Amino acid sequence: MTTPIIETERLGKRYGRTTALTDCTLRIPAGRVVGLVGPNGAGKSTLLGLTCGLIAPSAGSIAVLGNRPGAGAAQLARVGFVAQDAPVYSGLSVADHLRLGARLNPRWDMRLAQGRVERLGLDPAQKAGRLSGGQRAQLALTVAAAKRAELLVLDEPVASLDPLARTAFLRDLREFVAELGVSVVLSSHLLGDLERVCDHLVVLAASRVQLAGDVSDLLATHYRFAAPRDLPPGADVIHADDSGREPVAIVRSAAPLPGAEHADLEDLGLAYMTRALISPEARRSPEGRHLPEAER
Amino acid sequence: MIWLTWRQFRTQAVVAVAGLAVLAIYLVVLGLRMRATYDADIVDCLPADCTGARRDFDEAYGTQVALVGALLLGVPALIGAFWGAPLITRELEEKTDRMVWNQSVTRTRWLAVKLTFLALAGVAVSGLFSLLLTWSASRYDQLIGERFQALTFASRNVAPVGYAVFAFVLGVVVGLLVRRTLPAMAVTLAAFVVVQVLMPTVLRSHLMTPVTGTVRLDAEAISRADFMGFGPDGARIDGYTMPGAWSLTTTARVFNADGTPYTQQQSRACDRGGPEAGMACIAEQDLHFSYTYQPAARYWTFQWTELSIFLGLGALLAGYGLRRIRRT
Repeated sequence: MTTPIIETERLGKRYGRTTALTDCTLRIPAGRVVGLVGPNGAGKSTLLGLTCGLIAPSAGSIAVLGNRPGAGAAQLARVGFVAQDAPVYSGLSVADHLRLGARLNPRWDMRLAQGRVERLGLDPAQKAGRLSGGQRAQLALTVAAAKRAELLVLDEPVASLDPLARTAFLRDLREFVAELGVSVVLSSHLLGDLERVCDHLVVLAASRVQLAGDVSDLLATHYRFAAPRDLPPGADVIHADDSGREPVAIVRSAAPLPGAEHADLEDLGLAYMTRALISPEARRSPEGRHLPEAER
Repeated sequence: MIWLTWRQFRTQAVVAVAGLAVLAIYLVVLGLRMRATYDADIVDCLPADCTGARRDFDEAYGTQVALVGALLLGVPALIGAFWGAPLITRELEEKTDRMVWNQSVTRTRWLAVKLTFLALAGVAVSGLFSLLLTWSASRYDQLIGERFQALTFASRNVAPVGYAVFAFVLGVVVGLLVRRTLPAMAVTLAAFVVVQVLMPTVLRSHLMTPVTGTVRLDAEAISRADFMGFGPDGARIDGYTMPGAWSLTTTARVFNADGTPYTQQQSRACDRGGPEAGMACIAEQDLHFSYTYQPAARYWTFQWTELSIFLGLGALLAGYGLRRIRRT
């Protein structure tokens, strides 16, 4: 088994008296496209900042690709990061950004970078400040990708894009992840965005991890049904919503539930987030909600 | 990293070079004009005209020399506020720190390269300006200037280089702590002004132990003083300055050879003829006064000490910044 891309142990981050992330224990295997989902303010950016070493933890530990994040130039070279809103130097041109990448990264892949710029139709002489939101996100992603890191961390890469640019961005992301064979962690507050690209899901709400696991496992063990019914032992109601015309419940069960349909990823994520926000019990004990992973 | 530093600094560099070029032209013209006037009116002046020629020279050029000197004093402040303070805050405000600090270069190295490169640029700008002004104003300084005077001392020779480096690093570190550009610029300016006021008024004279000596009140000494007057406890001399020295005594009591105060009654004996005859008479009385000063020969020691102090402060601040940026 290769080193997990992210391994955390009771990781926490506080800003003064505000808790941004608490008690986060995760083990994400290599080679995944990881979706990190949660409502705004759930601690997604904090977790990603901790992952690339931009911020330091105030409790617990985190190892990324087996090392302390941001521990040195070598570790920085292994992790690519695109921050929220894809910051770029507005005064520098597209070509300048590629030169910046080439000067600052030992494994820079100029062919890849130029190829992407060409394919995306970006004008190399254009100042980055004049690019549209979608183009800026693409440029930032290009700089992160051509670095040839082993792990790409993308914080809300599509949040500021219109639906069209969003679809294009995600399609492009899927293509080059397959091409480069990198692991990716990307966050969003919309599950719909992640559903299309992710094979591993982490649900973060109320500063805690609510759920983590491979998408196929999650889908296999979660059910949705419209009417109340008796549950077999070991099944667990995640959230029952009776506000609609028909009551709907999302249930986790390792054993098959005959007659119930499988929940889709959106239902499932929403159920865990809703539970975290309404139930103080769930906030206190998120442990044990993790699904057993095939690799363990 | 050097490429990026230069790329981000390019515009500021062009502004600095343009400003320096304008100043250079002005200072060369001023210097040449002062030399011409000096050669025509001061060299070989008849003793009767020399005082007047000196006064005319001061009137013609004094203001300009003082203004350019003040400008040179302002250059480190500008470097600190416009090069130093925004160096980190601009990255933080535009969130580009998240981009650049995630390339394969540690923050420490990023800052070290930027500090070195821009500090050297600061050295070049302030050094060239100081060199030009020192050359340009040399006739004026020779004839009229007091080189230990706060403004003159701080705007000639090597001292300005130290100020520039210090102000730049100060700006960067303040930016690192304050994290917003405008407040960082304001704090940098305020801190630098405080240092520039404290240094000449309080600190500089203590850098070396001053010399206290007895000066004979002869005609030469009288000509180097502003004023001599009498109080209830005897005569006082005001504003005496030894040639080229830094006076730390502004007013001193005048004593007879036997150590008793020289009194107004005694001076009446000299009240005959005009004021000049009276002064000549006083000069013959073998009077003396006590005088504390930094000797002229120490000028360069003071310049190099000043440079070392500010470079040292800059290095300390830089060391702190390099440590601090790891936890930002």
